[in-house]
Order: sequence, then C-alpha cells, then structure tokens
Amino acid sequence: MTGAAPGTALAASCAVCHDCGLLSRLRGHAAARCSRCGAGLHARKPRSLERTWAFVIAACLCYLPANLLPIMRVTSLGRGEADTILSGVEYLLTHGMWPLALVVFTASIFVPILKITILVSLLVSVQRRSSWRPRERTRMYRLTEAIGRWSMVDIFVVTILVALVRLGNLATVEAMPGAVFFGAVVVLTMLAAESFDPRLIWDRSEARGI
Amino acid sequence: MTPEDFDRSSVTEAVVSTRTRPSIVWLIPLVAALVGGFVAWRTYSQLGPLIELDFESAEGLEAGKTEIKYKDVDVGVVETIRLKADLSGVVCTARMVKGAEDYLRDGTRFWVVRARVAGGQVSGLGTLFSGAYIGVDPVREGKRMRQFHGLEVPPIVTSDQPGRTFVLHSHRAGSIDVGTPVFFRKIRVGEVVSSELDPSDEFVTVQVFVHAPHDLRVHRDTRFWNASGVHVSMNSQGVEVNVESAVSLLIGGIAFETPIGESSEPAAEEGSPFELYANRDATEREVYTIKSYYQLYFDQSVRGLNIGAPVEFRGIQIGEVRDVKLEFDAKTGQFRVPVLVGIEPERIGNLGGADPAARRTALERLVQLGLRAQLASGNLLTGQLLVELDMHPGSPPAQMVWSEPYAQFPTIPTSLEEITSSVTRLAKQLGNLPFEQIASSVDETLKTARAALAQADRTMAAATALVGPDSPANSELRQTLLELSDAARSIGLAADQIQRQPNSLIFGKEANQ
Repeated sequence: MTGAAPGTALAASCAVCHDCGLLSRLRGHAAARCSRCGAGLHARKPRSLERTWAFVIAACLCYLPANLLPIMRVTSLGRGEADTILSGVEYLLTHGMWPLALVVFTASIFVPILKITILVSLLVSVQRRSSWRPRERTRMYRLTEAIGRWSMVDIFVVTILVALVRLGNLATVEAMPGAVFFGAVVVLTMLAAESFDPRLIWDRSEARGI
Repeated sequence: MTPEDFDRSSVTEAVVSTRTRPSIVWLIPLVAALVGGFVAWRTYSQLGPLIELDFESAEGLEAGKTEIKYKDVDVGVVETIRLKADLSGVVCTARMVKGAEDYLRDGTRFWVVRARVAGGQVSGLGTLFSGAYIGVDPVREGKRMRQFHGLEVPPIVTSDQPGRTFVLHSHRAGSIDVGTPVFFRKIRVGEVVSSELDPSDEFVTVQVFVHAPHDLRVHRDTRFWNASGVHVSMNSQGVEVNVESAVSLLIGGIAFETPIGESSEPAAEEGSPFELYANRDATEREVYTIKSYYQLYFDQSVRGLNIGAPVEFRGIQIGEVRDVKLEFDAKTGQFRVPVLVGIEPERIGNLGGADPAARRTALERLVQLGLRAQLASGNLLTGQLLVELDMHPGSPPAQMVWSEPYAQFPTIPTSLEEITSSVTRLAKQLGNLPFEQIASSVDETLKTARAALAQADRTMAAATALVGPDSPANSELRQTLLELSDAARSIGLAADQIQRQPNSLIFGKEANQ
C-alpha cells in the first residue's frame, strides 16, 4: 500500500467495515477489527489478486471437462443417450427450437466464457497497473457479478429432470459428470468475482496523477 | 513523556518480511487440475480400438448413438457413418470399449439387429422401440483385425453356442433355406446355417447346426432327410400322410434319425458329410453304399426304358438304370443302345460283398451259368420297361467284358422278341417248302385213292350179296342157331338132373322119381 492516492480512505489510514459500513481508523499492520460488529478490517481485500487468479485458473480447468463430458443421460424405452451441452444445443437447433437453443447456448457456453474472459482481463490490467478506462472496467466487473447467479440454468434443468423423470423403463434421466464440472465452473467464477476487489482498478489510475 | 517527544530516528526499523506463503486458496485450482486430469486420464484409458464396419445400408444406424452390443452389453458405439467411395455401401467407424482388442479377430462377425421375421422366428422386437443396434459374435482366435465386413442377416449360430455343424449334400435344395429347422423325433434341435450350390453345380451343400446335447445324437450312420411339407404315401395298408411339424409345413425342415441297433457308432465329428435324402422312405431304401456300373448293349428298341427304371432279379430290385444312349458301330454298320445300369451288389447276399475282386469272380461264374440281362415289360398299360436279370441256362454262351469305363454285361433279347423271331423263322421255313411238287403228288395220290375207293365199293357189294337176309348163308346160320338153342336146353336139363341126383351121372336116371 505504498502509493496510496490522496483523498482516499486508504491515504487517510482509514477503512470501511465490509459488513456494517463503519469507517474506522487503521493503525499499523495488525489485524484490525471493526469496533461495532467485530468483522475483520482491511483497506483492500487481502491477497485479492492471488485468490482471484486461483479461482479463475480452477474455473478454466473445470470448464474443459464440463463441455467435453456428457451432462446428462436420457434413457427412454431401453435406449440410452448421453448428451453434452454442445450436443444438446445442436439437438435443439436441428429440431427447430432455435430460441431455446439460443438460451441454452447463452447461459451455458457464452456466459461462462464471458465471465472468465472479463476476470482474466481485469486481473491482467490491474497487475500491469493499467489506467485504461477504469469506469468501463468497473462496469464489466459489475456485470460479471450480476450474471453469476444466472449461470446455473443448466444445473437447475438437470436436477429437476432427474427428480421428475423417473418412469422406470419408459424414461429415466441421470446426471452425468459433466454437470458436476459445470456446476464447479459456475461456483468458481462466482468466487473469483467475489474475491476480486474492484477498488484496485481505481488505485492505479488515481496514483498516476489526479 | 508524550508521544510527540519520542525521537523516532533513534529506534531501529523492524525488518518487514515481504515473503509471504502462498495462499491456501491455490488448493482449489490444484484440486480442479487433479480431478480434471483424473477424469481425462480415465476417459482416455477407457477408449478402446477404433474399427471400421462395412454394411450395405445404414438403415436404422445413427452416428454417435447406435451401440454395438454383445449379450445386451454395450461394447462400442458407432461414431461416424459415411458412404463408400464407389457408393456400393456404407462404412461405419465405431469406438469399441477397452479390452475389445482380444476378440476383434478375423472370425468376428458384426450384423445389424433389427426386428425381423425369418425361419419361423421373430427376433429383435425390442429394436422396434429402442432402434437398431449392431450385434457382434466375438471370436478369440485368429488374426487381429480392425476392419470388418458386416453381415446383412444375423448369423443363425454364434460361436458361443454349444453344438456342432454338419454338411449335407443333396441334389435339390427343396424348400430348405437358412434358418430352416432341424428335427430329431419331431423336436427342434438345430437350424440350417447355410445352403449353397456346390462349385461343381451337381449338388447343393447344406450346413446344419445341431445344438448340444442333441449333436451327440448324430452318429456316423445317421441319415438326414428333407422333412418339408406333407409326405403322402400309399401302400397296401392305405394312405399315410406324414407331416414333421406345422412349422416345417410352412418353412420346410430337415429331420434325422439313426437306424435302431446301429447307434453304437461313435458320434459324428464336426463338419462330417452326410447325404440329404429326399424323404424318409428314401433313407430306408438307399442303405447301400457300393454301386457298381455295367453297360448293357441292346439291339432292339428301348422305348419305355426311362432313366431310373429298376433293374430286377426275379422281381427284386437290385439297381436302376442310370443312362440310355444310342451308338452307331461304324464297323458293323449297326445301331445299338448302350444302357448304363447301377447295381447295388450289397442287395444280393453272398455275392462277394464289398470286395470288388470277389464280386468279379462271382459275376463271371454267374454269367457262365447263364446270367443274362433282358428288357422286360414293367407295366403293360404304360409300356414301361425294366431291365431284368435272370438265369437262362440255354442261352448262347457269353462273357463279361471288363472294359473301361464300364464293364459290359451280356444281354439276350426279350421274351416277346424271342417269340417274334421264332415265328419269323418258322414262316421263313414254311416259305421254303416245295408247294407245287406237294400239290402234284397230292393230286396223284387222290386219283389212286379214288380208284381204291371204287374197288372197295365193289367189294362191299359182293360182301352184301354173300351175307344178305335171303342168302343161303343166312338161312343156314339161322338153322344152326336153332339147333344150338336145343342143345343148350338139353344141357340145362342134364345139369338140373345132376344137381338133384348127382349119382345119376353114374347110375342113370331113377324111374320112381
């Protein structure tokens, strides 16, 4: 916290409690606590970049099997069929249900990629101390946080189908390993977004000279 | 002392360690990498060999969905389907499960399982709902292969079924087709596996598979016959209708049986050849394995002598006519008819049996004793002829001619022909008689006879005059007869006297009596 920009709480050796919003004065490096609610106080999220990187890398690692492995298996009348996300989209598209295909494609393939890309670009820009368009970058971060919770559509569909379609030999739906990995991608990207501290974007640009 | 008085410069700076341990959060990507790596490794390690299958059509097959199953266990899945370059069929690439390499040999067969009705059986009904799949018959021996030619119809017998295959030869396939059932005592024990023409075009080769344990019932002397349809036979006991089973009535069938009392023969080996008889009667008839062929030369018409006509000896069939030809002998300028007959010498007891040399000697001896062949009428209505062998001790001497390829057997003309020829001979001799001379001498004789008769007439007239009613001889004869009558009476009286008084013969007649 060497080059703190003037006019920020950090420059004034103050920090806002994340939980109750009380502004407290910080003293030294010791682990400070909020005098009102007892939560840990820190000017910036500790090790934000490192943790975000870890989550993003883990999400990338899970993204491959999530798309390559079948996400669910539909057994109807003795004939089993395992579908990956992409083959499901393809199935919907070839059967003329392109609006549904678009929804599934957006929610299951486009959004995770978008999130990972945004997070990686934010991390890189912060580490390179870039001051390029901090407002837009912050908006991108907010977008990532906002859509995170909507990426679980696939998992919801699979769980509902598994629970509902239990007709014995007539039709059965089973979840396959792909669903686990897909869920992991969603959770990990949400965690990554959570652990990233957007104030870091502004720290750099303001240090440059406002 | 207030904090403001504290001289900061006099205190040494604490060393702040900038080295920090990596955060525990890095465990998460580490675990993700491990799990992902494990899944990738497992998926990759479970990939089996990629094989190519040729089919005539891809009916019911879907890339990425159609499974390859063995005993209803998935052993692979079709990945791609494409047309062959020459458009003659389709090529499917299929990913087999790990471990499938062991049974991908050159004998392994693949076929598409669809719902079908064949051989009296309905199979693959389940595929109506679940879609077609590819069946496999794994084989553990042979060369390892990656490319296979798919069968269009499922094999009747897969390699895991216990039993044995036998080869049947028949002149006609009849209604036998792949899947035709094989019966033993009217119980279904097997199926026809293949039915094809022999390369020589002379007979049909039928392969049958008999399931265990019934395959042990096939012995070396077992006879197979075509049990297709209805067999109607008529004999002195009436009409007999025989049907092997309702199934065989519709789709044909093959039955087999081992002659009673001979089943001590060992069980037949895999692939043993058998003859397929036309019907059950034929199996009982044709029990003779040895056939010897003889050429018979006839100089007469053989109208009514068909191929297959019986060769009989005193009414017992011992063979049949195999061929009838016509031959021109350039040397003598005559036509003659060579008739090829097949004789089953085993039908005749004590005729040398199976030993050809002994048969030859016996036959030569019989010919010396008068054994001859002749044509005989088998059926007066239709004029069918048959060849009859019999002993003709009086016939002109002849011999067997042991020529190649067939031995020649001596013949004599037909009985009818013999009569005709003797009548002709008689007529010829009659024609040679000197009828004119005979006529003139007869004339002379008649004249003489007429004179003789006149003489006789005269003699008779003289005789009449001599002994007529008014002739002296006649009256004298009457006188004599009267006297003879008197004499007889006197003798009668005398006899009475002697009977009453026998002594009167000596003492004379007594007066007082």
